[in-house]
Amino acid sequence: MKDHSKIINESLEEKNRFFTRRHFLKEASFGFGGLALANLLGGCNFNDTTTSNNILFDPANPLLPRSPMFAGKAKSVIYLHMAGAPSQLELFDYKPELMKMDGQDCPQSLLEGKKFAFIRGVPKMLGPQANFQQRGESGAWISDYLPHLATIADEISFLKAVTTDQFNHAPAQLLMHTGSPRLGRPSMGSWVTYGLGTENQNLPGYVVLTSGGRNPDSGKSVWGSGFLPSVYQGVQCRSEGDPVLFLNDPDGINRDLRKASINTINEINQQQYKEFKDPEILSRIAQYEMAYKMQISVPGVMNIADEPQYIHDMYGTKPGKESFANNVLLARKLVEKGVRFVQLFDWGWDAHGTDANLAIDIGHINKCRSVDKAMTALILDLKQRGLLDDVLVVWGGEFGRTPMQENRAGKAVPFKGRDHHTEAFTIWMAGGGIKKGGSYGETDEIGYSSISGKTNAFDIQATILNQLGFNHEKFTYQFQGRPFRLTDVSGRVITEILA
Amino acid sequence: MIGTITEFIGHFHPVLVHLPIGILLLASLLFFLSAKEKYQSLRPAVGISLLSGACSAILSCISGYFLSTTDDYDQQLVSLHQWLGIATAFISVLAYLFFKQQKNWFKWIMILLTLMIIVTGHLGGSLTHGSDYLTASLRSSENKSELTKSIADVQEAVLYADIVQPILQSKCYNCHGPNKQKGKLRLDQQEFILKGGKSGETVLAGKTDESEMIKRILLPKEDDDHMPPVEKAQLSKNDIELIHWWVASGADFNKKIKELPQTEKIKPVLLALQSGQTTEEIKISAIPLKPVEKASDSVLLKLKAAGIMIVPVAQNSNYLSANFITTENIHTHIELLLSIAPQLIWLKLGNTNISDSSLAILAKLPNIIRLYLENTTISDAGLQSVKKLSQLQYLNLTRTKVTVNGILQIKELKNLQELYFYKSGVTSADYTSLKNLFPKTKIDTGGYKLEMIASDTLLVKPPLGK
Repeated sequence: MKDHSKIINESLEEKNRFFTRRHFLKEASFGFGGLALANLLGGCNFNDTTTSNNILFDPANPLLPRSPMFAGKAKSVIYLHMAGAPSQLELFDYKPELMKMDGQDCPQSLLEGKKFAFIRGVPKMLGPQANFQQRGESGAWISDYLPHLATIADEISFLKAVTTDQFNHAPAQLLMHTGSPRLGRPSMGSWVTYGLGTENQNLPGYVVLTSGGRNPDSGKSVWGSGFLPSVYQGVQCRSEGDPVLFLNDPDGINRDLRKASINTINEINQQQYKEFKDPEILSRIAQYEMAYKMQISVPGVMNIADEPQYIHDMYGTKPGKESFANNVLLARKLVEKGVRFVQLFDWGWDAHGTDANLAIDIGHINKCRSVDKAMTALILDLKQRGLLDDVLVVWGGEFGRTPMQENRAGKAVPFKGRDHHTEAFTIWMAGGGIKKGGSYGETDEIGYSSISGKTNAFDIQATILNQLGFNHEKFTYQFQGRPFRLTDVSGRVITEILA
Repeated sequence: MIGTITEFIGHFHPVLVHLPIGILLLASLLFFLSAKEKYQSLRPAVGISLLSGACSAILSCISGYFLSTTDDYDQQLVSLHQWLGIATAFISVLAYLFFKQQKNWFKWIMILLTLMIIVTGHLGGSLTHGSDYLTASLRSSENKSELTKSIADVQEAVLYADIVQPILQSKCYNCHGPNKQKGKLRLDQQEFILKGGKSGETVLAGKTDESEMIKRILLPKEDDDHMPPVEKAQLSKNDIELIHWWVASGADFNKKIKELPQTEKIKPVLLALQSGQTTEEIKISAIPLKPVEKASDSVLLKLKAAGIMIVPVAQNSNYLSANFITTENIHTHIELLLSIAPQLIWLKLGNTNISDSSLAILAKLPNIIRLYLENTTISDAGLQSVKKLSQLQYLNLTRTKVTVNGILQIKELKNLQELYFYKSGVTSADYTSLKNLFPKTKIDTGGYKLEMIASDTLLVKPPLGK
């Protein structure tokens, strides 16, 4: 013991010999700079929640629930995407001035320097085809294309001057959901499940439901996980036939045998993990476990036939077929069971007027009728269940439609139709701490461009994340040597529509 | 026209001044270095540095003079800065002229020049950024704690002196204070505030719509007239609420908060001040402001092992939420909640097989704010323990067997804001009597219907022939 302290003292003395005057001067100058440097580097501390996010997910249980940065209002999201882009000029953006210009040549000032997906030369203007009325106490303009939604105008907040910079479906959809018009970024649902996990470990945290006969143009990338761990990608469920493909046990294999084989596979994976320490292996094990649990939990929750008749009457659902209404009812069941993010895509809104189904005054009305009752029922049903404040509902397309009649390649199309339009469209939100009966943004008198309160995909993403309890500027994932955000380098929380 | 051109030239002053400062300091450095044999080769550079430095110093003086005539700076400070600046320019010219003569006393001129640059530069900085700018960051932490300390009891605080003035001090004084009076406005003393500025009445007691200050801080950020200017530190939402309330309530300089009428809008803001929090997050969260100890990790692990989904309600909070949706044997595991009783504020027991008897534990979980019991077999008996939850704000009893008689038991819960009864024993017929019990609570008995409209199932068909 004595020897020890002797050695320690000796080394301390040795050290003291270095404390010279020169040392003092050096320390004094470098040390002062060092103080400042420590301040600077403090900003790089990733464990500091005030400067960066702190999402430490356990790769063995990647979907366990996690805390948001601050206590958000919303706990889950139902996003209703009308793929193809509905016409704001027939639904929410009432423009009597446009009616006066109906049939006239489009003024040159609206065409110069602009690019359209299909319009060439000088198109004619097309007046609103729907009849508008102001609804509820908020006085929101909603057309007779959506008679049911019109009854709950006071539950909703409208964003009437949304803009985008993409005029083709796939890139515009990707921008809306992943924050980039190109492939490879994680979708909003992936970000949210990565950030919050999910409260029901027997179900996926992020479910995707499609209707309208086709997947959205952007394909499955629009619910992909990008560079986030693959466990956070959207799980597409079907409302017709098996909800999740390949989930059933094959013929001749019972549940015990299935369990035994999964256990064996997991054991092998465990050995693999011990050798390589790749966290994706743990994710894989978790996914096998999840699939096994989903065999029991999914058929039950995905079956809307056990809902009472008055619910079916309310939503207009008919079990057993693929429809938007069925998907909406399913979405409600899923969030009730703790699913974090439910993404719906309904295809068929691309009203170019090239055939009757895509005509503003024919097919577009039918599309509206196929969603109107169900989405209205969703808001009312969440409300009566006391869940509307917990669930954020978002409705919208990927862009808007032109105030001009489409003239594909310079020639008239057979029906009334509108081209893709990037400069103004309407998106609405409800629940999840969104203002009731709010409206933000204005377009000019013919609905061509946004004149005030402009918003874009990033603002909408920032707002959704904010309602869930995330600061979109600090919610990041380290990839390729730099932190990535859903909102990239922009985005503003649209506080004007928050309750 | 002349006026605008001089103003234009004047605005170059803040850019130009950096040239003489940099060049003349370099000249001084080169001069003293070249005294050493090793750096003798630098000597010829001193002359040219002094010449260019002197020229730029003269330009700075000219532009500075124009700036001083247009902007509203503290006259005393400006004149000191002005004369020191002219003197510096003069000395730099002298230095250039005498440099070639290699006099022995020349080094004293260089030392004087260096000192002059430092002093003049500092004065200039004080003019633009405020006299305490340099050391403000070192003192800021003390100031902050002082500020929160002084409003430990918000109701006793003087609204102007303790709350509004510190906001003005940190966000406005720089341009509207003793050193600078942009727009002829000064906000650091009562008489100046009441006097107003170039654009008219800054503060009109009780008239927020006519008070220039309120109008400008409420303008959108993109507006040129928005205050503070977009590139400067902005007022927080709470700051704005407080200033707005101060003007609306009569812009009194002496009254205490408790003497003023408190609107619903200002109450949460005052509450936030009380707790020393300045965040805007309060508005959208329902977390108690009182701090709580962290639940121990071993306890949390035990709960998680039982299949209870338990997480802090936010990363920076110790309060917890619990969800039993996938918990098996809920009746045995619910006892575990006792170990996190101080922290538990949100409890989800919906869609489980929880029974009235297991609910007895609720009486020992006093901090619960949100309670979900939807789609369970809970009946009136189960609500007995709920009446102890004095903090309860949200109660979901949809699809339960609860009736009005059960609700009578919880009528003492004055914090209740939302009550949901859809498909329970409580129906819309009970609404009026419930509303009498809970006048301020949002009560929803549900049962919304969407009547079928003929057009719902009708398909629009294209006209024949197309």
